[in-house]
Amino acid sequence: MRRMKLGMTAVAVLLAGSLVACGEAGEDDDGGGGTGVEGAEPLTVEAESDCDGKFEEGSRMAELAEAGEIAIGNRVDQPGLGQQDTPDSVPEGFDIDMAKLLIADLCIDPESDAVNWTEAVSEQREQFLEDGTVDLVAASYSITDERRELVGQAGPYLLTGQQVLVPIDSEVESIADLEGEEVCAAEGSTSLENIELEGAVGVPAATYGQCAEDVVNGTVPAMSTDGSILRGLAQQYEGEVKVVGPEFSEERIGIGYSPDAPEMCEWINGVITEAYDSGDWEQAFQYHLGTEDEDAPEPPALDECQA
Amino acid sequence: MTVQEESAAAPGGTGQPLVRLTGVQKHYGNLHVLKDIELDVARGEVVVVIGPSGAGKSTLCRAINRLETIDEGDIFLDGQPLPQEGKALARLRADVGMVFQSFNLFAHKTVLENVTLGPIKVRKKSKAEADKRGKELLDRVGVGHQAGKYPAQLSGGQQQRVAIARALAMDPKVMLFDEPTSALDPEMIKEVLDVMVDLAERGMTMIVVTHEMGFARTAANRVVFMADGAIVETADPETFFTNPESDRAKDFLGKILKH
Amino acid sequence: MDVVWEHREAIALAFAYTVLLFLIAGVGSTILGTLLAGMRVGPIPVLRWAGAGYVTLVRNTPLVIVIIFFRYAAPKIDLKFNFIDVVIPTGAGDIRLNNIFAACTVGLTMYTAAFVCEALRSGINAVPLGQAEAARAVGMPFGGVMRHVVLPQAFRASIPPLANVQIALIKNTTVAGALGVAEAFVRMRGLINIDATARIPIFIAFAAIFVVLVEIISFAAHRLERRVRVA
Ligand SMILES: Nc1ncnc2c1ncn2[C@@H]1O[C@H](COP(=O)(O)OP(=O)(O)O)[C@@H](O)[C@H]1O
Ligand SMILES: [Mg+2]
Repeated sequence: MRRMKLGMTAVAVLLAGSLVACGEAGEDDDGGGGTGVEGAEPLTVEAESDCDGKFEEGSRMAELAEAGEIAIGNRVDQPGLGQQDTPDSVPEGFDIDMAKLLIADLCIDPESDAVNWTEAVSEQREQFLEDGTVDLVAASYSITDERRELVGQAGPYLLTGQQVLVPIDSEVESIADLEGEEVCAAEGSTSLENIELEGAVGVPAATYGQCAEDVVNGTVPAMSTDGSILRGLAQQYEGEVKVVGPEFSEERIGIGYSPDAPEMCEWINGVITEAYDSGDWEQAFQYHLGTEDEDAPEPPALDECQA
Repeated sequence: MTVQEESAAAPGGTGQPLVRLTGVQKHYGNLHVLKDIELDVARGEVVVVIGPSGAGKSTLCRAINRLETIDEGDIFLDGQPLPQEGKALARLRADVGMVFQSFNLFAHKTVLENVTLGPIKVRKKSKAEADKRGKELLDRVGVGHQAGKYPAQLSGGQQQRVAIARALAMDPKVMLFDEPTSALDPEMIKEVLDVMVDLAERGMTMIVVTHEMGFARTAANRVVFMADGAIVETADPETFFTNPESDRAKDFLGKILKH
Repeated sequence: MDVVWEHREAIALAFAYTVLLFLIAGVGSTILGTLLAGMRVGPIPVLRWAGAGYVTLVRNTPLVIVIIFFRYAAPKIDLKFNFIDVVIPTGAGDIRLNNIFAACTVGLTMYTAAFVCEALRSGINAVPLGQAEAARAVGMPFGGVMRHVVLPQAFRASIPPLANVQIALIKNTTVAGALGVAEAFVRMRGLINIDATARIPIFIAFAAIFVVLVEIISFAAHRLERRVRVA
């Protein structure tokens, strides 16, 4: 009897470890379905072929195109925005597609080994750009004045708002119902700050996968972050959880670049505008973030680059 | 229990023996340290155990209060067989005082606390009662004025006298001494032996492992000579020291008398 | 530095969690570790094996895994701490000792207990065998021998390694941050997220408070060591 319990316990430890480490895998193997509208086509991005003389000499873009290699800071635990199952695979998500468009514009194949995808958790992102660990950050990177003092941020290419994920049978309808209750979000994230501003008690977690586990286990009554991420999680835990409530914050998601390369801003804005016009942006949105009930929103207006 | 009838023939006294060992065997791996030991000690008797190093004298003492287990045979105390581990064994040990070669006073307790710990925790006496009796005993062994000190602040002879007081505080039925003076400087040996002689005169039953012939001659009723794990010879002290029977004993006495 | 001052109440609250995790797990692990050490040096073979098994299992498992077990695996086998819900109101906001806090505390306690056990056992081994024998010879049962004679002396010999275990514990409380308790480390990362321009002063402020806490433990251990040495 005791031995059996121990065995079960050991299995449970392994299970929890793997759940927490990977978020829940699966899902993406069923013929490449995205987290968005059912049956939507994924965006395929192909590298430009001729970069000779395309960029001004001495610019960071010219250097990267010349080197033929680039490092991108991305999230790995946000289904819909940036998710990566193993460190050497190519991540997936809306952020990732935006990064791929930029990479391809530099004549680098975004699916190749020439791209170094690097996990950048919330509080590492400025550091990585400053010390050159990564060339660009595409990691649900909210644009704020404080951050713009340290690094460059172009965009926003996406507007999101924070919502709430609760168990399927929960009576909670919005963040307002959770005053004084525990609500989970990633540590060091803006989502966690916002939860506390709304009067709930922030429960920090290393990843959103852990938060979802807590909701499913009944350890906390809810978790909260960008609606797009929550919808991705709701798909993974289908039938167990649901996304509720209006958005109670507005996040302006942009691309981060090195403070030493201000010339990248116009280039990034150019590539994003092109994606707006060509329909690539809408296709990526529908595939990763879209819902059956609604059309894709208008792409957000981009901030002007500071001179 | 048929012990009581058998014990009528105990030597050195009348009535049942206080301590009885029958057919006791013990091994340490391949080493046979106690070989078929038969020994009766009567109430009030003082037995000196003597013999070369490694003969098994300490093991014998330790077997009697079961600090060591035995492989075969029986040990009876006051007619009762030694219990197995547990509370009953602890109770038995409380009735057997033991004095070690290396004193083993509790290093973190004062002299008085050393003497009162057992009575308070084991005999459940009140602290006042234990303190009163403890001070009497410390006075009796001549270290009453050191009661508040820690063991490390005392000389070896003083420590050993405290150890005797600690054992006496439990009102034991029998006292075991394992070479109580061997670790002492010569000038301190006498102060400890004097306490032991006094004890013997007051009628305490004692089993004493020692090479002090003076003590054996004055205080012992009997000398037991051990060699290689066996009891080789038993005699009264005078006979043993002047006219030993066995060659092993002659040889041994020859060696210790040369010094 | 402004960010730090601006959020002083939140920081104070965060360190309150750190200190509470430390104190509860510190006391709990000392008790559990002492019991384990007693089992390991005791006369009953089954308990000896159980104690050794516990130490081997827990000591060789990373702390995160131990806490993750209580946070995410235990609820799945219905080992939940939902019955724990203590709210301590303070001027800076409520301190909530809830199911998450309890799971993290239990994890920290069970993990640290293995190290307390081994630190104590080294202390017990440093007590001469004759001490326990003399105590047994006056008729004390095993528990009494340990409580009155061996452990008091072992504790003294174990104070330096035990202090190290407790210092490791206060630093280990930061692991609970990634697993649901809003302790100091989480608050530090949160502040850096709010204002990355101030990350160096924020970092220095938090590191300094941690250094002060660790120094307090070292100082207490040092004083304790000196006090018992007189005896
Ligand atoms: N714990 C032990 N393990 C193995 N051998 C032991 C142990 N204790 C004593 N012995 C051996 O048993 C024999 C008898 O020891 P002991 O009783 O101490 O002799 P004595 O006290 O007569 O000198 C010696 O050979 C000694 O080495
Ligand atoms: Mg000996």
